[in-house]
Amino acid sequence: MEAVFISSLKLLLDAVAEEMDLYVPKKADEHFVYIRYDSSAETAVEFNNIRACTPVKEFLFPLRELASIFPEPFEPKDIKPFAVFGLKDCDLRSLECLDKVFLEDEFRDEFYAARREKMFIISSDCFDPGESCFCNVMDGRPFAGSGFDLNISQVKDGFIIEVGSQKGKDFIEKHPEIFTDVPDDAIARRDKNRAEVQKQLQQQNADLKFDLPIKEILESGQDSDVWDVEAKSCIECQACTRVCPTCHCFYLYDTRQKDYFAKMKMWDSCMRCAYAAVAGGANPRKILGDRLKHRLMHKFCYFLDRYGLQMCIGCGRCVDADAGGIDIRAILKKLNEEIRNKGKAKVAK
Amino acid sequence: MNQNLYQPIAGEITDIIDESPTIKSFIVVPEKEFAFKTGQFVELTLPGEGEAPFTPSSSPADTKKMEITIMKAGRVTALLHGCKKGQKVGIRGPYGNGYPIKDFVNKEVYIVGGGVGLAPIRSLFLTLVNRIKDFKSVVCRFGARTPEDFIYKKTLFGPWQKIDGVKIKLSVDKSDGKWTGNVGVVTTILNKDDVNIESAVAIVCGPPIMMKFATVKLLEFGFPAERIYLSMEKNMSCGIGKCGHCMIGKYYVCKDGPVFTYDQIKGYPNIWD
Repeated sequence: MEAVFISSLKLLLDAVAEEMDLYVPKKADEHFVYIRYDSSAETAVEFNNIRACTPVKEFLFPLRELASIFPEPFEPKDIKPFAVFGLKDCDLRSLECLDKVFLEDEFRDEFYAARREKMFIISSDCFDPGESCFCNVMDGRPFAGSGFDLNISQVKDGFIIEVGSQKGKDFIEKHPEIFTDVPDDAIARRDKNRAEVQKQLQQQNADLKFDLPIKEILESGQDSDVWDVEAKSCIECQACTRVCPTCHCFYLYDTRQKDYFAKMKMWDSCMRCAYAAVAGGANPRKILGDRLKHRLMHKFCYFLDRYGLQMCIGCGRCVDADAGGIDIRAILKKLNEEIRNKGKAKVAK
Repeated sequence: MNQNLYQPIAGEITDIIDESPTIKSFIVVPEKEFAFKTGQFVELTLPGEGEAPFTPSSSPADTKKMEITIMKAGRVTALLHGCKKGQKVGIRGPYGNGYPIKDFVNKEVYIVGGGVGLAPIRSLFLTLVNRIKDFKSVVCRFGARTPEDFIYKKTLFGPWQKIDGVKIKLSVDKSDGKWTGNVGVVTTILNKDDVNIESAVAIVCGPPIMMKFATVKLLEFGFPAERIYLSMEKNMSCGIGKCGHCMIGKYYVCKDGPVFTYDQIKGYPNIWD
């Protein structure tokens, strides 16, 4: 893949911000969130750390948005180009999932599509995964291989900028004055850094090993007590689905404004009791444990069956956010343990 | 082409028919021609109040207007029941797959329906009757709580029963004293020799509990799961396989259904709840 080098991060960020709105990570307590880039700010942008605690979906599919006005036709507004800096591989893989849902040919969500098209992605290597990160178990890596316009890797004396798309290439070509050739040893240094972080993830998740593919573990654990037992500590705060970058359920509702009627789209959660209820009162998932099971079955089985892609990317946001202490890793481990005890498992490799 | 999936087209309620104490049919005229396949559904918006999914009960042959039969069951349906002629509504759709009529050709079509489940069945029935010679026969077994609760009484109790190639049997859970037909839930009028199972398809639509027991009975008769067609009612909200509320396993009822064979969904949890 084509790459260039830049000695100063500020040069890059200022060049991007000159062309479009730019969002960068900022530390807030122990977490990171995204804020609008301010070129005059004195503190440097920190981007080598853990992914932000907020999901990237909020740039494409806001918490609440106007979906239609009645009876006048209403189309998505023109979106100005915008850039998000510092996204991690897990973030990019969450976009792959969302794209499957919102950009499918038959029913393309033009609100999502308009933002997705105008989004400029500058991803970055992950130097400091958190305790909750388990992307390596979900076939992810602490650095991006695709899905970005540009990717930045910090090495000694500067930053390697990898080009991942035509949009990225155009940007580089437009600013020849700020980039140089990649120094001879820089790629080797970057790869060494990457390997170290990968090793760190492997070590911290060493006990998260499964005897069968996760889909099969869940399918054979459908009648397990684990769901009800784990759900006992759930306080139905719905934080898990809010922060999950692949959860995309929404609630479509009607509202009456002063001089028009509107439909709104708002994030919803399958952990909410009335989520699947119908007007007559029937509710396939009245029981909290059933809702927890559905959420995980959707992530590891249903989405995979439908789109050929697993809907958990191992970012660990739900683990960090869960007020009830529910840990998706622990559930998977327990289900795996049950299979092992039942003697169904193949010999562990 | 940019097309907003969440934008309804305008329509107007031009007539309202009282069907039963809890059920009304609404004649809806969309502002432009509206084609649908029998068994597909629409999202009907009461502007500013809410939206709910309904399968039109009219024949798809009429693209100028549709009939939507609605039971008062929740907030939006209660508000719709309070509407008068002239009410403006929004329509999105049509959504879903509809009944696979071509798979019914040259077969006996065995239709089991209950309560307001007769609404989608009426549209199917009119479609089948329109080309009745393409099917071996249309055998209907319909149930309602009481005789008064039957919808489409005028046609159901008379003209429909006289159509060549159509056999209809009715049952009520509770008689009103004047009822001369069968008394009992609809499964009590299902018999193994109603149709030749080898060359028949079964269609079931009604309240979940009725669909469950009818399916069990059909399986007992020897109907293979892939020839039992179920109209599933779930919380279809967006209609386009995105919002997630109507999922049965990997399926979005709104997009992959609402008509499923029992074979497709039997492995998933809580399908009848």
